[in-house]
Amino acid sequence: MSVSRLRTGRLSLQERLVAGSVLLAIVVAAAFVILILSLATLREATRQEAQSRDVTAEALMLQKLVLDVETSLRGYVITGQKSFLEPYDAATKELPDRYSELDRLVADEPAQRRRAILLIAAIRTYISDFVEPVLAFGAGGLAAARSATDIEGTRRIDGIRKRFDNFLEAEDVLVASRAESADEGSKLAIALGVSGLAASAGFILLFALYLARSIARPVREAASGAAQLAGGDLSMRLHEGGPGEVGDLTRAFNEMAERLQVALGDLEEQNAKLRDSDRMKSELVNTVSHELRTPLAGVLGFTSLLLSRDFDGETRRHYLGVVDAQARRLTELIDKFLDVRRIEEGRFARVEEVVDIAPLLKEEAQLYGAQSGNHRLELDVPSEPLPVRGDPDGLRQVIGNLLSNAIKYSPEGGVVELAAELDGDSVRIVVRDQGMGIPAPQQPRIFTKFFRGDVATSGISGTGLGLAVSRDIVESHGGRIGFTSAEGEGSTFWLELPEANGATSDQENDVKERKKGET
Amino acid sequence: MRPRKIDDTATPREPLKNIKTILICEDEPALRELVRASLNGGYRFAEASDGFVALRLAQELTPDAVILDLMLPGLSGLDVLAGLREDERLRHTRVLVVTAWSETREDIVAAGADDFLPKPFEPDVLKAKLESLLAES
Repeated sequence: MSVSRLRTGRLSLQERLVAGSVLLAIVVAAAFVILILSLATLREATRQEAQSRDVTAEALMLQKLVLDVETSLRGYVITGQKSFLEPYDAATKELPDRYSELDRLVADEPAQRRRAILLIAAIRTYISDFVEPVLAFGAGGLAAARSATDIEGTRRIDGIRKRFDNFLEAEDVLVASRAESADEGSKLAIALGVSGLAASAGFILLFALYLARSIARPVREAASGAAQLAGGDLSMRLHEGGPGEVGDLTRAFNEMAERLQVALGDLEEQNAKLRDSDRMKSELVNTVSHELRTPLAGVLGFTSLLLSRDFDGETRRHYLGVVDAQARRLTELIDKFLDVRRIEEGRFARVEEVVDIAPLLKEEAQLYGAQSGNHRLELDVPSEPLPVRGDPDGLRQVIGNLLSNAIKYSPEGGVVELAAELDGDSVRIVVRDQGMGIPAPQQPRIFTKFFRGDVATSGISGTGLGLAVSRDIVESHGGRIGFTSAEGEGSTFWLELPEANGATSDQENDVKERKKGET
Repeated sequence: MRPRKIDDTATPREPLKNIKTILICEDEPALRELVRASLNGGYRFAEASDGFVALRLAQELTPDAVILDLMLPGLSGLDVLAGLREDERLRHTRVLVVTAWSETREDIVAAGADDFLPKPFEPDVLKAKLESLLAES
């Protein structure tokens, strides 16, 4: 598996983690920026509130100076004593500073500044147009000044006092609105701060959940999968998927499990082959020992007889002939067993040659037809050859079993039919009788070893092996065997063998010749 | 190809009813002849070269003894033995197994045989074993 295939079109886990962390940092920073801005707003509101108080104090101070001027003027006018003018002198010295201070404090509040300018102008006008002329005038005649102070001075001071009241009232309203906006600002700052922190906390939680879901869980599953694999369950697979490297991990894990499973399957297959080959070897040893012992028994037995007993010349020669034939057969057997290829090809016990089954059927029909007086055996075999590949002795045995059964299980006698034909690319052989048939409930079991059904107690002898052995032989030839039957109406057994392609080859002729030589 | 001959080699001076019938089940003709020669006459012989014929002949003839090879074409010797022991009339027929297989005597006796002789065998030993089996019955 190539890395490029793993990564196609997906963000890697590392990239995802970095992106998530950056996003988290942005959210937290934004929350703090909003909080700081809110605090700054609050601070500004507080500063403005404090400034408003300064403005009020300044205005009150100015008002006191004006009152000092008025009181001082009035005292001087009434008494004519110069000492009453001392507060007036101090106030007129201080007033310009107070003007500029007030003007500075209200500089950023246009409406209030206009009021302040008008107020200051009114005070200046009062001093220049009234106080100073009265003082100048007062040096000449205090009586006239007194009346002027009473009427005109009171009127002017009232006007100025009204302006002061207006100004202070406006400043109070301003203070109230500034306090309110500062209060709102602080509430907003708290709300923004809290919600920003809550959002950050929520985002961190989501990020942690995402990490757990997309990394911790798949990794845990991979760990338990690995434990399962180690326990021998190679069929287990992880759920493929997950971000980036986690997906790579699960896919790689599954591929590893797949390879392990395939490798184990191969190993088991090889083991089975080895076991098969072991079994074949031990079967071979048994077969060889049996095959060798049989002619050896002939050689030793007859030799022993010849040594221990007296026979006439002809018998002796006959026995010696048997000994000779058996000894030759031993030699041939040894040659045969040394043919290692037969072991490797795994068909040691199987004879493979092309057999024309037609003459074989005729021989069997003759043999079994002669066995029973009250059965008529009808043979229906075509004149052309019916070639199949296999063991002629085994096939002969199958036909013999079926004919023997047909005769045995039709005790009243009747016709037994043996037919064969080329059917497509297989040779089909049918044995039909008119006998007792097989009861339906027993039909599924008749190919089972030792099963004989009702006939076991009917006095008809048998072993219950014929059909089982026949089926083994037919199937080992790649064929099929079957039947149809009804109780009381007879049975029809059929078998199909694959037709051998082409005529008997030279090589197979050779095999036949050799076999003839052996027997 | 499929021997099914009754070979009456009884000597004329013995009455026919006392002559015992021996069924020889052996696929190798030379060994069937060796068994006959080893027993030196005095019996009526029937021969079978495959397991199916062996069982059928046993059921037809109810022989006094069966000399049985285990490796037979068709039905194996052990199947024939089982078939004999299933049959009411053949349950007590003496069976002498003569085999090249390496089964132990115990296994073969457990399968229902009365005695056992490995191949290759001494003709005199075969004769003695068969006589002792027939004497027991």
